Amino acid sequence: MPRLAVSPSSKPNCSLIGLICIFLTLSATHTHARIAVTIPEQVSLLASMNTQQLSISWLGGEATTFDLIILRTEFNETVFYGTVSVTVNQESGRHEWNWTSAEPLECTSLSVRIRSRDGQMTSDWSDTQILQGSDVPSNKDTQIYPQDRIVPVGSNTTFCCIVAEREVFGSIQYRSTVMSATRLSRRTYAATVVNQGPSRASGTNVLCFTDRSSSLSGAVVFVGYPPQLSDFVCETHDLTSTVCQWNNGRDTSLYGKRRTRYLVNNRDCTNNSLLQQQTECSVPQWEENWTLVAVNSLGQYSLTDSAELSHRVCPVAPVELSSVVHAWNATVQWQWKYSSYSSLALVCQVEFTAGGYKTKRTFTGVGLRSAVLSDLHPVEDYSVQVRCGAQQNFWKWGTWSKPISFKTKTDVPDAPDVWMWRNRDGTGQVIWKPLTQRQSHGQITGYSVTFWNPEENRQHTVILSQYTIAVPFNLTQMAYLSGDNKVIASVTAKNADGMSPPASVSLRLPDVELPAASRAVYTDEGFPLSWQSNANATCSFVVEWHETSCTYDCPVDWIKVPAGNTNVSIESANFQPGVRYSFSLYSCPSDSPELLQRWQGYTEELVPSGSVRLSSSQQGSDILLTWRSMPMVDSRGFLLGYNVYISNGSQLTLLANLSDLETSYTVKGFSMGSYKFTVKAYTSAGEETGTTVIIAMESYSDWLILEILTSLGILSLLLVIATFICYKKRKWVKKAFYPDIPEPKLPSDWSSAQGPLDVKPSPHSMVHIVEKPEWDSSKEMLVVIPEEDEDDDGQGIGDEPVDTDEPTSLRYYNQVVDERPIRPRFPDSSTSSASSLDSAHTDVTYTGIQTSGSSLVFQLDPQGSSEGHQPQAAHSVSCRGGGYQPQMQPRAPSDDMGLASAEPLLEAQAACSGGYKPQSSWHFDSPMEAEERGSLAPSLGSPTSIASTQFLLPDGEEHGEEKRQSSSAATWFTNLLSSTKP
Amino acid sequence: MAEQEEQPITQPDPPGSGQSRTGRAVSIARLLHRECTRLLQLYKEKETFLSDHTPDGGRIVSLSSESEASSAEEQVQCLHSALRQCLGLLHCVILKEEEEWGKLEGDYETMRKNVRTRLEHLLHTTKDLVETEEMILEVTPDHQCNEEVDGAGGLFGLKMWTYRVLLELIHWSDHAAQTLHVLHREREGTEEI
Repeated sequence: MPRLAVSPSSKPNCSLIGLICIFLTLSATHTHARIAVTIPEQVSLLASMNTQQLSISWLGGEATTFDLIILRTEFNETVFYGTVSVTVNQESGRHEWNWTSAEPLECTSLSVRIRSRDGQMTSDWSDTQILQGSDVPSNKDTQIYPQDRIVPVGSNTTFCCIVAEREVFGSIQYRSTVMSATRLSRRTYAATVVNQGPSRASGTNVLCFTDRSSSLSGAVVFVGYPPQLSDFVCETHDLTSTVCQWNNGRDTSLYGKRRTRYLVNNRDCTNNSLLQQQTECSVPQWEENWTLVAVNSLGQYSLTDSAELSHRVCPVAPVELSSVVHAWNATVQWQWKYSSYSSLALVCQVEFTAGGYKTKRTFTGVGLRSAVLSDLHPVEDYSVQVRCGAQQNFWKWGTWSKPISFKTKTDVPDAPDVWMWRNRDGTGQVIWKPLTQRQSHGQITGYSVTFWNPEENRQHTVILSQYTIAVPFNLTQMAYLSGDNKVIASVTAKNADGMSPPASVSLRLPDVELPAASRAVYTDEGFPLSWQSNANATCSFVVEWHETSCTYDCPVDWIKVPAGNTNVSIESANFQPGVRYSFSLYSCPSDSPELLQRWQGYTEELVPSGSVRLSSSQQGSDILLTWRSMPMVDSRGFLLGYNVYISNGSQLTLLANLSDLETSYTVKGFSMGSYKFTVKAYTSAGEETGTTVIIAMESYSDWLILEILTSLGILSLLLVIATFICYKKRKWVKKAFYPDIPEPKLPSDWSSAQGPLDVKPSPHSMVHIVEKPEWDSSKEMLVVIPEEDEDDDGQGIGDEPVDTDEPTSLRYYNQVVDERPIRPRFPDSSTSSASSLDSAHTDVTYTGIQTSGSSLVFQLDPQGSSEGHQPQAAHSVSCRGGGYQPQMQPRAPSDDMGLASAEPLLEAQAACSGGYKPQSSWHFDSPMEAEERGSLAPSLGSPTSIASTQFLLPDGEEHGEEKRQSSSAATWFTNLLSSTKP
Repeated sequence: MAEQEEQPITQPDPPGSGQSRTGRAVSIARLLHRECTRLLQLYKEKETFLSDHTPDGGRIVSLSSESEASSAEEQVQCLHSALRQCLGLLHCVILKEEEEWGKLEGDYETMRKNVRTRLEHLLHTTKDLVETEEMILEVTPDHQCNEEVDGAGGLFGLKMWTYRVLLELIHWSDHAAQTLHVLHREREGTEEI
């Protein structure tokens, strides 16, 4: 390598001979090269600091290939070394080559050397040419390069900082980012920023810090975009000059001095405004071809346009707008800024705004300067503006004029929208909708309503204020209108300009049965109602609606449907959820209205607001739940049914779902206890809160009593039947149950006298026994015969018990009686005792049952009634009559008198039949007890027939009554049986 | 913006108003000082590298006769001269910045315009206070703005120079408030404004 040959670093390490040989060889070679290749001379350096380009020129003879080496002078670091082919500049006769430095050329000094090359032969290096940097000692201050550089977005830039003398480098910052720096020279440090983003208007700061805090050096770099435009178009407003417009496109991030400059056909159209996106530029004449050039530091952009003038006419905005206003139309006039428009065929748009609505109408004409706006509304505020375009070769609409406003004049009102409401009683009201501002055409001053009969041509007019929207009527009180004639109400509105046309409605509706209402389902567009089309129908329709719950003078709303329509959608701001509305379709509303169809519906069904009125009653073991149907106002939806729940604590158990809207339900099979039931009505929205009733199930004793009475009644009926049968078959019964008792047969020695048993009877116990003459004398029996004083007969029987210690003399005659065993019969209504066996011999009359002497019949009342004691009393009487000695028998008081007395009774029977036995007598231990038993005591002591169920002495009333009933029944039966006797 | 004064930019002197002319001048100077401070704050928000930097060098505006002025009126006359130079510097800043960066409409630019108007108002006020037949005072900017802004050159130098100008405005507006307060005290005999 040649460089190696001249390298000052070669050292004489080889042997001297070797070195000499090599030196001679190389010297010979170089000597040959010097002859063939000339050394470049007059090397010149020209630096462009902005582009960091170094232009190197030299005189190089015939050579075309050169080796160049560029070094940083201070550190002798190679920046560039290469072989380049350079031709001679014919003008200067010098070789020129440009080199672009990565760093600003000011950063440090550069040394340049050149040598010629011819293949492998090279010349000697030229003299070193040095490009002086800014880091020379004469520049003592801190510097940073490049300054104010403009670079495109995304580029890389190397900055260098030359530190002031006697200062130590700190750092290089780009914005606020510290960059990694490399040292280029004693005082110079460099850092490269890559992929730079766009900077702001005042650029991006690059700072160099040293060890001196007060020393701050920096530079500003502007990073932006080259221009990029669009939508370049030129047109004319005045038919002479040109106005070109374009869109600036993206922001270049370059402002102020660095902003983009625009040229239209080489005319400066630069706008200093920063943010104006749309730019325009005027050219005084029409040139038909235009070129737009946009230039900034980073590049330029061109757009072209071409057109004939007549194809690019964009009229200016009309000026001096004025108007001539009427009630229903207005004329708008305007002027043009340029007189040249007078011959221009124009098409103009007139836009008028009223009530927030905009309407455009188009007019044409040469030099158009006015337009008539028809179909306006009286008393309406209008705002009008105009714009125009060329009618021929229309290019675009011009600018809107400034708007003008006017208000149209007044006029007579429109006819009101009239309908009526009629109650069932012939009253009602004619209703009309208040005229809107657009309908009233001025301030309404009043209404007049005329009722008239077209057949009789009689009428009656009512004048009303402007605030009235309804007038009542009563057809029954309109005498001259009464009858079946047609009655028509005509309503007219009045304002300052006059009366409106009349609006009529017929007040008579045919009395037909209301058609069934079908359901209307609400949708987003309202209640869609449709009906059958009648091909011959020429009348219009009215659909009215009101709350279904209202029946009298209802606030009704309506809509009129033109003839031929078969459907309408009803929507109203007054519709509320949960309210049922009725819709009725009428035909021919103004002449002869006829109700065609009815609907009912809800905008939204809700859960019922009320609750059913629930009541319950017990029916045996069942529970009947009844309730009233819910009022329509409370149902707030179509009732679908009722849910019946039973409450179990806090939980409700569904018992039944009554979807057929029944209002009662029987829950069966409940035992005693308390039950809680809840009934809830429900709609499609759900069920209401419900009503709860609590019922306590009671024992159904009433029913038990009723059943008992029924059973007794049936039993009584059976007894009556049995009695009747018995009566009819009494002979058979007599024969079967009471056969004739055969006569006793006495032995032959019965007449022989036997010794009497003398007993001294108590004088008070004397019984006068009368022997009946019809008595069979042959019949022997034991009889009691008073020993003395038969006159005492009437007293003593049934008297107070006598002292048994008193001597009583009774004679018992030992007579033979029926020896058949005594056979008590239970139950039997007849009362008898042993002593009554032969009572037929006494003169005490009785109506009781006559029993045979061999049968003892007792009546033992298990209920313990007073009759139950009669046998004992009778027995007692008869025994005392037989010489009984009363004997105190201690006995505790007992409630069960019947049972207590039964046993002694039987004993007494045996005694009486067999002979004397002591017998207890009734005696109360205390007077109090006697009082308590007062009702019983007299009977006990009362004389009674031995065969009778009745006491002979009067008893208490109650007992007397009971005894009468009982005894009458017994007597009847006894007589029944007795009557069977021959 | 952190704070904005409610006081209008130009305030005509209402006849018979309660505040004296010197007092009103002091108020204007104090308001100008607050606005200059705010302007510097806004500038530092734009050029953040200035936030911790204190530049070298002395005053841009200096008055050789300031120390020699003995009376308050003479001091105000010197102050008026310094304010004129400040106004000239501010005009130059506005001119150069609009030339370099374009006509921006941010908070800084708005406050910059306010300060210029307030400074002009203060110049008119001080002129009215101390102008005599012998001493005719001008209110036009005393700066031609045709010289290099700073030795460093480049747009970075413009920024540094602008920073120094804003510091000068703060200094001289504060100085104006003090000097005018002295005049107010002498003329009105009270510290109260």
